[in-house]
Amino acid sequence: MNDNNATIELKKVTKEFKSTKVIDQLDLEVAAGEFLVLLGPSGCGKSTTLRMIAGLETASDGEVLIDGDDLKKKASDGHTIAMVFQDYALYPNMTVYQNLEYALKVHKVAKDERQKRLTSILETLNLSDYKDRLPSELSGGQKQRVALGRGMAKKSKIFLLDEPLSNIDVQLREKARDEIQSLHDKNKQTIVYVTHDQLEAMALGDRIAVMNDGIIQMIDTPENIYKNPTNLFVAKFIGTPQINVLPVTYKDNYLYLGEHKLVEISKSSKIQTQTNYLLGVRPEHIKVSKESGDGFVTEAEVTKVVDYGKFTQVTLKLTSTNIIKAVIKDLNCIIGDKVFIQVEEKTSIIFDIDSQKNIYWDRV
Amino acid sequence: MSNKKNALWHLPLIIIGIIALLPVIFMISNSFKTLQESYQSILSVIPNKPTIDNYTTLNHQVNLVRLVWNTFFMATLVTVGKLFTGLLAAYAFRYYQFKHKNLIYLLFVATIFVPFTIVMIPNYLVIAKLNLLNSVIGVALPQLCDATGIMIFLKTMEKIPGSLFDSLKIDNIPNRRIFFNIVLPILKPSIISVGAMFFINSWNEYVWPTLILKDKSSFTLPLALQNYISSEGGTNFPLAMALSSIMIVVPLIIYLIFQRYILNSISNSGLK
Repeated sequence: MNDNNATIELKKVTKEFKSTKVIDQLDLEVAAGEFLVLLGPSGCGKSTTLRMIAGLETASDGEVLIDGDDLKKKASDGHTIAMVFQDYALYPNMTVYQNLEYALKVHKVAKDERQKRLTSILETLNLSDYKDRLPSELSGGQKQRVALGRGMAKKSKIFLLDEPLSNIDVQLREKARDEIQSLHDKNKQTIVYVTHDQLEAMALGDRIAVMNDGIIQMIDTPENIYKNPTNLFVAKFIGTPQINVLPVTYKDNYLYLGEHKLVEISKSSKIQTQTNYLLGVRPEHIKVSKESGDGFVTEAEVTKVVDYGKFTQVTLKLTSTNIIKAVIKDLNCIIGDKVFIQVEEKTSIIFDIDSQKNIYWDRV
Repeated sequence: MSNKKNALWHLPLIIIGIIALLPVIFMISNSFKTLQESYQSILSVIPNKPTIDNYTTLNHQVNLVRLVWNTFFMATLVTVGKLFTGLLAAYAFRYYQFKHKNLIYLLFVATIFVPFTIVMIPNYLVIAKLNLLNSVIGVALPQLCDATGIMIFLKTMEKIPGSLFDSLKIDNIPNRRIFFNIVLPILKPSIISVGAMFFINSWNEYVWPTLILKDKSSFTLPLALQNYISSEGGTNFPLAMALSSIMIVVPLIIYLIFQRYILNSISNSGLK
């Protein structure tokens, strides 16, 4: 607890609209100064969660605490929380400068202080030349920066961002991402950032909370979420190209895909013989060779080749129904080639076929 | 090709324009004719011997300044009232969530469809009971609120994205500020165009003021005009045309001042 940031705590928060449960018993703790990303497909409840933290929606059940205090007390002061909206929500009748200044003026921040803050923000965001323009005279990227600046001007302890980059060009997005990142490094506010873009989430978050169906599926660092997802949903949601999922059976120390031996597995109490599992392997973890032997036992046929420059993505047909994608770097393949693949135990993620949970999710 | 097409379109537009303009030209030109000339050649556009006698006669017969002032005062009162109540109500409908909101809104809108002839008598009785007969206030009072305004303003306010209100809520901006600093400026074009419509309607209003205003000193222009075309006042046609010409001056000025807003809609007010 200090002047720059605050903790956020959601305790068993449930939100119902009419009779539909959008958020179900959600627990979430955000540390002071943390950059947390709420990631999930549209309709997963991430925006609703953010709006509850902002005090724009009231939880049907449960508590939202800011610095251990009830949200209502904190949110109503107008200082603790700042929020940036997907459509920027700029005041169309005010210039850029007036947009940034408005809330400060209403809350009687002294004129000198206002000027000092805004000049530095306009400079940071490269908006000094545009300060007298109306929002309608700005490009999408500029509007987004104004929205960001308006949030910054408040010097709030908590900064909420609701898909702030989804309406701007892909080329500008990376730059804007860097801006947000450096803002956080500088100001150390507690940030909750909502997005459906996993790349954005991976790039920005100290931790990522992956949400689906109103439930947090996993909350961890980007690295852990990528390497060791708790369940199939998280595994599939994170990573492009998407993780390969194959139905396998375990017997005699091997995971079998149909008749093919695919992965050698060391003995473990968690995996049972003659049982079906789902095997998840990231495309970059599939090793491809034109020669068989030395672990390359499973044969496959190349059905598609896409050259992305720094790497090539190939689509491989393993059996009539099982198709996987692999990323290769130093191998030339053309459609119709016969190749052999190898999957290693350390890079395979094994999911229970019914619960779709990672059976080793507690493995480090 | 497209020029040819445009030219083709111009023809019907010009014809419609002339048809719309004819009565006005007719009115103005006859207001400068003598009574005799207006009987002889009522349709001629340019008067033979233009005269301003009609205007000077009018000035002797009625207190023109008073008439214009009465009408202006009443129309302004009604317009300001309708705008004020309409904007406040629309804001409440837009900003607040409350029980039976849709039903209440529907009831408001339904009043648009109640004919004036039905509310005329009850309104008259209320005004009489309040001892407001023969006063401009009495004319204005039942008209200070109007669902048309609520409806138009709500439709315009609905174009303001919800996130804008959310943002203001998070910044803890008081309602009064939101209303005056954000909503009113955004709605300026539609306030002006709706206001102009209210003003002109009220300026031309005849039946209701006739019921309330009995004393000539409190007459509005349409009532005074009636005196010159009714049988009792005798029909002095050029005089009636002169008064009519005076009557259009104020609405015309208002239109000229605000026409760029009246033609504009919210689409170019900066939202989206």
